[in-house]
Amino acid sequence: MDVPRIDDFEDMFENAPCGYITLLPNGRIKRVNKTLLSWTGRTAEQMTGQRFSDFLNMAGRIYFETHIAPLLRMQGFFNEFAIDVVTAAGEPLQMIANALEGRNADGKALFTRLALIKATDRRRYEHELLTARDVAKTNLESEREASELREQFIAVLGHDLRNPLASISAGARILGREAKSDKEHQVIAMLETTVLRMAGLIDNVLDFARGRLGGGLTLDRDTRKPLEPVLHQVIDELRLSSPGRQIQAEYAIDVPVNCDRSRIGQLVSNLVGNALSHGASNEPVRVRAATEDGLFKLSVANGGEPIPEAVMGKLFEPFFRGEVRASRQGLGLGLHIAAQIAKAHEGTLAVSSTSEETRFTFLMPLR
Amino acid sequence: MGVIERNNVHVQGTSERSMIFAHGFGCDQNMWRFVEPAFADNFKTVLFDHVGAGGSDLKAYNREKYSTLAGYADDIVEIGRELGLTDTVFVGHSVSSMIGALAAQKAPGMIGKLVMVGPSPRYIDDGDYVGGFSETQIEELLQFLESNHMGWSTQMAPAIMGNPDRPELGEELTNSFCRTDPEIAKAFARVTFKSDNRADLDKVDVPTLIIQCTDDIIASKAVGEFVHRAIPKSEIVILEATGHCPNLSAPDEVIAAMRPFV
Repeated sequence: MDVPRIDDFEDMFENAPCGYITLLPNGRIKRVNKTLLSWTGRTAEQMTGQRFSDFLNMAGRIYFETHIAPLLRMQGFFNEFAIDVVTAAGEPLQMIANALEGRNADGKALFTRLALIKATDRRRYEHELLTARDVAKTNLESEREASELREQFIAVLGHDLRNPLASISAGARILGREAKSDKEHQVIAMLETTVLRMAGLIDNVLDFARGRLGGGLTLDRDTRKPLEPVLHQVIDELRLSSPGRQIQAEYAIDVPVNCDRSRIGQLVSNLVGNALSHGASNEPVRVRAATEDGLFKLSVANGGEPIPEAVMGKLFEPFFRGEVRASRQGLGLGLHIAAQIAKAHEGTLAVSSTSEETRFTFLMPLR
Repeated sequence: MGVIERNNVHVQGTSERSMIFAHGFGCDQNMWRFVEPAFADNFKTVLFDHVGAGGSDLKAYNREKYSTLAGYADDIVEIGRELGLTDTVFVGHSVSSMIGALAAQKAPGMIGKLVMVGPSPRYIDDGDYVGGFSETQIEELLQFLESNHMGWSTQMAPAIMGNPDRPELGEELTNSFCRTDPEIAKAFARVTFKSDNRADLDKVDVPTLIIQCTDDIIASKAVGEFVHRAIPKSEIVILEATGHCPNLSAPDEVIAAMRPFV
């Protein structure tokens, strides 16, 4: 065996760690190096004089004619193209190639040089990436469809639940007019409280579904009507439904608030409802609504155990439910919806919690 | 956005007679860079990119519209109307030969003569008809195109689209003549190689020149002759040039074949 020499350029061409092919301007092969011959299992006689594209699979041929050949003429080179060379055994050999056109002074093509590197592993890897991308795309689409259906279902369900609830509420009112004994009054009051709570839950479910359906919460802002009576009404309803609990409310609303009043009412209802469920039952829930420093500020505070550090970050996520006795167990949407309402008003909803008190504060700019 | 921007249309000269060049599958209007100058003295020349190629407006790419060659032919008609072209010479390479044939039928009077470079009315074999490819091979091509994205990346799209005129291309715009969104490239390959326009050929009633290369694996000589037989007022010139892009590899031969015809 000949011992290879470092400065033997003929050997460097023939036994390079890549395949070399030289093409004539008509696309026919002038010369192939030994490396490529051994990779393809072909002889120099078989390849010389043939079209380079004869040794490609059909896809490669089309690609060569429609992309590589024109680009070589236009920019004189083409790097990093993937191509499959067909071996003598008929097997595709995945390669990455660079090509360079040799030209005379007038820009006329004299020859094309191709350097080819085996890229079986790389091409397989790329193929797997492409496949994975396609699978992910398909999964995403079906996931999206499923979740859309689910949300539509929730929306329809919410609507259908409201109707029977309205009948119960109307029935309780009629009975209330004719109730005589204390017992009857108690039962009817309980009925009405439950209806109220149920209606609140349904509102939250609907809002949640709506928010997720892409429309987001829509606001019906109105500065002309006062906000305070709405807050009074909401808090009165909550007092009624929580006998034995104290709700202290303080109002300092001096200027009109450009907001959706029923949404702010819902926000207060959700925050106070939350405070009643989680706060210490022997301490009052303190509500304060005020306009100051160019902001509308609304805070709801309660005493009791502070909120554990670990769950602080999750409070406003949908379906988050803290420890609470079963009878007050909700869907875990109240705070989420409240935060959405705050956001829709370009405001913020923040929470602080210490052993003295837990306080939710809604701030929105007055404009 | 108007059709001029949408199709990256470039008009040269003020001659009364006009000539419009349409590129085929693969690259863009740069395919005509060696042929168009030869006619610029006597013709108003029009170059453009099909939507989805070159410097066209990729946002105008509509999957449904461009799922047939008729969608591309509609664009030709729109460009022709915008520029007020009548009795123009339409020069189409590869698949654009058929697009030109369809456009000529859509807007009578707009196209006066057709030049078809390497035409094929159908690439897939069908009974006695030899298009040169099997259905499977075309499917393989569509797969294969994914392996060659030509350096396309979403990050780079704005740079490519932001330079519709592309005066002098930097190194990073390498391959830009032939590069586009891989999804669009695939869709254009599909509509190109799966089209069947054999029945449209005998409806071509304008004088037609077929320029056929020797040794073209995309559109063989037999296919060129089929087109010649099917189009009533057609003539065929067989070039010595090989390959599928004589407009780049042998422009002088293409120009010489076109001159007496136009």
